[in-house]
Amino acid sequence: MILDIISAVLILLGGVLSLAAALGLLRFGDLLSRMHASAKPQILGLLMVAVAIAIQYPAWSTVTTLAIVISFQLVTIPVATHMVGRAGYRTKHLRRSMLYRDELAEAVDRAEAREAAWERRRGSGTDHNDG
Amino acid sequence: MSQIVLDTLIVAASVLLATSAIIALYRIVRGPSILDRMIATDVVLASIMCGLGGFMALSGRTDLLPVLIVLAMLGFVGSVSVSRYVSKSDSMTPGAEVGSLSDFSSSDWHMPKESADDAEGDSDTGTRQQAQSAVGEEWPDDVARGISDVADGPDAITVQEDEEPVTVGLDQGTDPGADLSAEPVADPDAEGEGMGTGPDSGPEDSDDGERTGPEPEEDEGGRR
Repeated sequence: MILDIISAVLILLGGVLSLAAALGLLRFGDLLSRMHASAKPQILGLLMVAVAIAIQYPAWSTVTTLAIVISFQLVTIPVATHMVGRAGYRTKHLRRSMLYRDELAEAVDRAEAREAAWERRRGSGTDHNDG
Repeated sequence: MSQIVLDTLIVAASVLLATSAIIALYRIVRGPSILDRMIATDVVLASIMCGLGGFMALSGRTDLLPVLIVLAMLGFVGSVSVSRYVSKSDSMTPGAEVGSLSDFSSSDWHMPKESADDAEGDSDTGTRQQAQSAVGEEWPDDVARGISDVADGPDAITVQEDEEPVTVGLDQGTDPGADLSAEPVADPDAEGEGMGTGPDSGPEDSDDGERTGPEPEEDEGGRR
């Protein structure tokens, strides 16, 4: 019975994290802020729910499948979030006034200066930056 | 007694998950851009996964575990494929300027008005540090944290027009002095050959010897 209550509390914590992400989606005003909010239940909430399942049914088949699910989330969620953030930065989905500092803009400046210098040396207008 | 506590916890978790899914659905409907909708879809998917996991934990249906794997893979594939094909015309974010990639640089956005006149003598990075702190302090805190009541959607595009004269003034101040004098002197020798000594990627995809050095570094810088 104690284990039931512990697993129920873990599921409740997963629900709290999910609600926090939804409120962040509702309240925040920018793509990057919403990304910051929405990453919480995808890994931590799911980890809590997986621990709840593993407490209730501690069999090897269950635990290994849960480990597959959690490790898959741990691998894919940063990749997907990185892709979304990169696309948002490139297509200007972010509000510049909400940034305290933009370290990527300096790197973009340096890359563009290097590109311009290289094309000035080559003397041709071929575009290598269409990724 | 403990049964009542257990039921209360389960009902509370169900209500929280349903509320989060409904709020994320509101963001999907309302979201200004397709990336916001994609993030909200991920949150809906996370809520579904948490709810399905709770259902499995409480009812013993552990044969539904492959559904969790399928849902995780669905979220990953959806996010990556949608963010791969986002175009610049999808940006409905208020305050985001729409233009070419060349005006999207720190030199004409992070240079404050008071340091624009003495930018010729100073080093470039020092003025940039001061510029960002000054720009960051002139916005109110709630706007900077993103919790202010700025309406989103196509109505608030006028915010972009309010910020327009600031950028024009900064352009006139910084561009002839800092950029055009600093960049052609420093770039072809210092940046090109300086980076050429570091990451030597080998001669596998090069058409001439000059290109082997700067290519991987430049590719990384442009794509991040």
